[in-house]
Amino acid sequence: MIRKQAMKQIVNSVDTEIIVSANGYISRDLFNVKDQQENFYMIGSMGLASSIGLGLAMKNPKKQIFVFDGDGNILMNLGSLTTIGSIRPKNFVHVIFDNSSHESTGGQPTNSNLVKIDEIAKDCNYNKVFLIKTNIELKKILLKIKKIDGPIMILIKIKKGGNIGNRISIKPEKIKERFMNTLK
Amino acid sequence: MGIKNFVGVPDSTMKHFIEEGIVKKKIIFTTREEEAIGICTGMALSGEPSLVFMQNAGFANSLSTITSLVELYKIPLVLLIGWRGFLKNDAPEHEKIGKIQPELIKSLDISSRILDENNWEKNCVWAIKNNSQGKLCALIMKRDFVD
Repeated sequence: MIRKQAMKQIVNSVDTEIIVSANGYISRDLFNVKDQQENFYMIGSMGLASSIGLGLAMKNPKKQIFVFDGDGNILMNLGSLTTIGSIRPKNFVHVIFDNSSHESTGGQPTNSNLVKIDEIAKDCNYNKVFLIKTNIELKKILLKIKKIDGPIMILIKIKKGGNIGNRISIKPEKIKERFMNTLK
Repeated sequence: MGIKNFVGVPDSTMKHFIEEGIVKKKIIFTTREEEAIGICTGMALSGEPSLVFMQNAGFANSLSTITSLVELYKIPLVLLIGWRGFLKNDAPEHEKIGKIQPELIKSLDISSRILDENNWEKNCVWAIKNNSQGKLCALIMKRDFVD
């Protein structure tokens, strides 16, 4: 499975929930798969999507907050897992598209295949952690998470590749404005 | 009105402020300063006035986050920065950053006020006003004691 396939599957399942997407190809894929005002594309500040998602989850307890993260991103802000696991927001779903590489910068390797990010999340008190390798497994889990409390991590092992679509054509300030309108 | 959320990494310069925040259960500690800025960004996007506290070493850590997140999206945040290296006889690791701090703040175009015993109340009102107008600003707390 490649990132875009997995992402399509999740976006179709979660409908109009809030999504914070990490910089690079992850935000670009989300923009091209389904652009909507509920998406906060974090185009800079690598590593911080999970932290922005935590702040949102704490202040919007009635909404489910999805973070679309990458292995490179979460490895840059591993401390975030300890903060999320200490605060334990029930509405926090942490999706990590893990291709063991910095695909956006040319596919250089990360260490995510040498360490167990899912085990780290468990040790950081995430309520449920799922390690996913196929579309069928993902489909099952997407139904399951509707009934369980967060913080949840869905670590999806993906392959590199797929066509990268257009860059995000919306100005950052506009991304913010329309996103904030959905939270009102 | 006023600031609702206080998120950051502790600094001895502002230990009494932090102690008060702990008593009032309003403080969240993070592992790094960028993480605190990320969390406060999520809170500010939800419409809540939020403050990030940090030492100036942490401010230096945060430069890229400030330019590529806070300033890029125009996120209204108050930064409370402890000014280590303000005194000449502060610990050596703070010397350089203490010296270049005013220039760094200026280079980033962050409007700021330096707090002292007489002006702190006025400057806090100034920061809250900036925040309500959707602007980034900084309050600087000098480390004017050595322990």
